[in-house]
Amino acid sequence: MRLNEIALKLGLEARAGAAGLEAAVLGGYAGDLISDVIAHAGPGVLWVTHQTHRNTVAAAVLKGLAGIVVANGREPEKETLEKAGEENVPLLVSGLSTFELVGRLHRLGLSGVER
Amino acid sequence: MGTEGGSALPDTEVTRIQEMIYELPVGKVMTRDVVSVTPSTAMKDLRPILRDKRISGTPVLEDGKLVGIVSIEDFINWLADGSPDCAVACRMTKDVRTICEDEPLLQAVNKLERLGFGRLPVVARDTDCMTGVITKGDIVSGLLKNLEVDYRNAEMRGARSSHIFEDVQSDKSTMMLEYAVPGADFSKAGIAAGRLKTTLRRLGIDPQIARRASIAAYEAEMNLVVFTPGGRITVELDPRKLKLTAEDSGPGIPDIEKAMQPGFSTAPDWVRELGFGAGMGLPNIKKCADRMELCSTVGKGTRLQIEIQMGEAR
Amino acid sequence: MNLEEIRKMLDARWLGCKRGPNGWGAAEILTCQASDLMSDVLAGSGMGSLLLTGLTNAQVVRVAEVSDFAAVCFVRGKSVQSDVVELAEERQIPLIVTPLSMFECCGLLYRGGLRAWVQKEAARCRTRK
Repeated sequence: MRLNEIALKLGLEARAGAAGLEAAVLGGYAGDLISDVIAHAGPGVLWVTHQTHRNTVAAAVLKGLAGIVVANGREPEKETLEKAGEENVPLLVSGLSTFELVGRLHRLGLSGVER
Repeated sequence: MGTEGGSALPDTEVTRIQEMIYELPVGKVMTRDVVSVTPSTAMKDLRPILRDKRISGTPVLEDGKLVGIVSIEDFINWLADGSPDCAVACRMTKDVRTICEDEPLLQAVNKLERLGFGRLPVVARDTDCMTGVITKGDIVSGLLKNLEVDYRNAEMRGARSSHIFEDVQSDKSTMMLEYAVPGADFSKAGIAAGRLKTTLRRLGIDPQIARRASIAAYEAEMNLVVFTPGGRITVELDPRKLKLTAEDSGPGIPDIEKAMQPGFSTAPDWVRELGFGAGMGLPNIKKCADRMELCSTVGKGTRLQIEIQMGEAR
Repeated sequence: MNLEEIRKMLDARWLGCKRGPNGWGAAEILTCQASDLMSDVLAGSGMGSLLLTGLTNAQVVRVAEVSDFAAVCFVRGKSVQSDVVELAEERQIPLIVTPLSMFECCGLLYRGGLRAWVQKEAARCRTRK
């Protein structure tokens, strides 16, 4: 499944890094701890979080994530948007909570990341 | 709540009984297990029933429906007439006075008095189905039983609010709770908020209000731990409102307006990995409060004060 | 769903004294909140809700308590220090731990019928200055 398909189906709005929306999404990750993402997420994974800090972008670059969805109606910080634009990391937002968004992603066929 | 010794009931008990007479329905106090006969029961078979059960009369039921009542008087009259061989149907009173099970005890008392009866059959509303019988004795024992239940509930309520709390400072109309918060020790952060929650719960405070106060206390406590060498949280409770004050002599907040912005945080990175530092502490506190006041002097310290109105249901 | 059903669905085990299906297992759970950001959690209410998290420090228990959460589930089979378990027992917060990832847990619970917790505007606290 491609990120732009997912975005369309679930009403996600892209805030930065739109160029990367063509990317294929291989799996999903949910959580707010940056150390956890770095430990467990891998290339092509879509990260759903409530975190708005710019360190999320650094983690996404480090692990080659497909993109970041900031959930719960939160807006990424200014520095986060800037960094995502620079690094071409797709940064999307959703009004749904992590739980609901992941539930729907799961229903679309996306599965969690194996350790 | 003390009861006086002796036979006189204190005023509170008398009013409670009066209340109950108005409020308790007949159905709650009546006897359900009732002896009854059918219209075809022979009059001569009444004697053992009346004698053994020591009752003054019995309802006559046909398929559960109340069709008449036969009393000891009817029986005596039948004896006086020479005990003719006949069934209850011939001697019973067909015009039966009844009372509905949802009527208040007051009605039962009035009716029994007015009619001069010792008992009344009880029917379910809008049917002829008899569900029980109520006597003067039932009324008295029902009232006493309910009075006893009342006592037990009042005792439980009293015990709840008379617990002794280590954090209680005074017990006039305002109650004060005080918590010392040591700075820098992250493992101890949240102890005060937890204890406040327990105390508020024990006092029977509305759970929503208890939650708002505890969350505000928790966030304030976090701030004290993360940013200051320590401080104090005080909670003042009166029937109208809860007032929470958090103060410290820490570094102070240079720009209060900025600090109130959601997402703005000066927390060090290690705090982030512990699930905090998202810059939501002060906004969360504001959300929990009906009124909030924050004053601070750099180099001297900070004082946060919030108020939560008690009576409001959110 | 009750907590015991959730525990089975997530292949989770009890932490601390096992209350089992008749104790804490009977707790009725209506919604779920998945977060490691305690401030986010504190912005809402946990009544009848399950907190799904990867954070395993004592603060999670304290947050769960002040916010009235029905239970906490730790993900990814994380090990939880005994002092945290003891604190949870003392404060009466049921704890379970699942080997599954948070993503999988959300997926399973959502499809199992648990709802997301939603902040109702009307219930939001007002502030007067």
